[in-house]
Amino acid sequence: MNKLLFSLFLAAGIFGTFSIPQAQALDFGKVLKDAVKDKVEEVKNGGETPAPAASPNNASSPAVETSASPAATPAVATSPAQPEFNWKNPSQQEEIALGREITGSLLGAAPLVKDEALQKYVNQVGRWVANQSERADLPWKFGVIESNDLNAFAAPGGYVLITKGLYQKLHSEAQLAGVLGHEIAHVVKKHQLKVLQKQQLLGYGAGKLSDLLGKNDKLAKKALGTGAEISARSLDKDAEFEADRMGMILATRAGYDAYGLADVLQTIGQTNKNDSSVALLFKTHPAPDERLAKLGDSVGGNLDNIKAGKTLENRLYKLN
Amino acid sequence: MRNCLKLLILIGLATSLASPILGLAGDAGTALKTDTIRAEPFADAKTVGSLAKNDAVDILTKKGAWLQIKTKKSAGWVRLLSVKRGASSSANNGKGVIDVASGRAGTGQVVSTTGIRGLSAEDLKAAKFNEEEMKKMESHTLSARDGQSFASAGGLNAVKLAYLKGAK
Repeated sequence: MNKLLFSLFLAAGIFGTFSIPQAQALDFGKVLKDAVKDKVEEVKNGGETPAPAASPNNASSPAVETSASPAATPAVATSPAQPEFNWKNPSQQEEIALGREITGSLLGAAPLVKDEALQKYVNQVGRWVANQSERADLPWKFGVIESNDLNAFAAPGGYVLITKGLYQKLHSEAQLAGVLGHEIAHVVKKHQLKVLQKQQLLGYGAGKLSDLLGKNDKLAKKALGTGAEISARSLDKDAEFEADRMGMILATRAGYDAYGLADVLQTIGQTNKNDSSVALLFKTHPAPDERLAKLGDSVGGNLDNIKAGKTLENRLYKLN
Repeated sequence: MRNCLKLLILIGLATSLASPILGLAGDAGTALKTDTIRAEPFADAKTVGSLAKNDAVDILTKKGAWLQIKTKKSAGWVRLLSVKRGASSSANNGKGVIDVASGRAGTGQVVSTTGIRGLSAEDLKAAKFNEEEMKKMESHTLSARDGQSFASAGGLNAVKLAYLKGAK
């Protein structure tokens, strides 16, 4: 159970469908949604501190070397004696530390493609698109990972990964910009972080997670062994639609053709649903058709007066 | 009479399966929503027809944010996001069945590299932090200014534009 709750972390992928994930996620999401509202309010207003629930023993894998300890910020209040992760209002550093753990675990599942030029290129495009957002100050990091799946992931603090499988489906830099824009939007809106916060404020695994990032490296290693699991989870459907809308605009602001993301959604939509390469994506995202239709509803005539952006097919870095 | 019916159904089936291939005029597409078909790729161009959700269309060309299409009833331009590429879902189902029968389900496209993993929920659950890869990723971090130079090199100029509102 702890493990499950835990895994909530990351969330995100990009493309795909958002149907309901596994049973656990379902429960969790539903319960959370209803419960959280009141609880968060309660915590906000009354300062009641959620009880740290879970015992920190379930996490199996020793993982990480812990990142910078986000010590500075005042703790939520459970145990004032030690520095704790401030779940109520995490600092940017804490957010980054959290994202690092999650991303590092993901990299444990699928390492970076060994192609320095590719990694550099993706960082160039991503950085430029991220510059157009409200959080240009984050130390944005992008990477292409060794997987034939079609997917992409974001983690708090500015970490974005795209699979090689998805990268190979791209035909232009504008399409890459659209995909990265969607992930950047998740970070900007703190979609994953919010899910984690709710989880914490409700007291699920509070002991674990605060220990984990606050004071004890060993605990952190233990607990975050499951960090990447959150990538297998769904965000709220609306969060995905919002990321589509924002991602499209971020890429357009960056001077790219506005329809790069839509092109990629088209490609994904044409992938056989039974294909294992889209299994996780389709499990964690709304159907591409639905996403395209929603995007179309929002766009309407709003972009009619925008000068056509660039697609830059020729600059797209070609993988061997 | 009954046989006749069967035959008709068979023909119908065969046609529907084959039509995406026979769509010589252009790529097959499906309407994602109701929309107006216009004479030209502009919002204020003359209306020449309308598109209903799930209508089959032939996609002829793309121009900016518009697609030139042909339906059974009319031809003209619609907004890009109103049409999805690919035939309707029934045809996809047919394809799925064929894939299963031929043992291709789960691979879809030919993947030449073996030994490269997918990323299942299980893989992610079992994943362990990889410090070395993390450091590699961090080593590629660029500054906002780096991004700017890269953009300039590609002739990209930032555009001022508000975010879109969510539709109901």
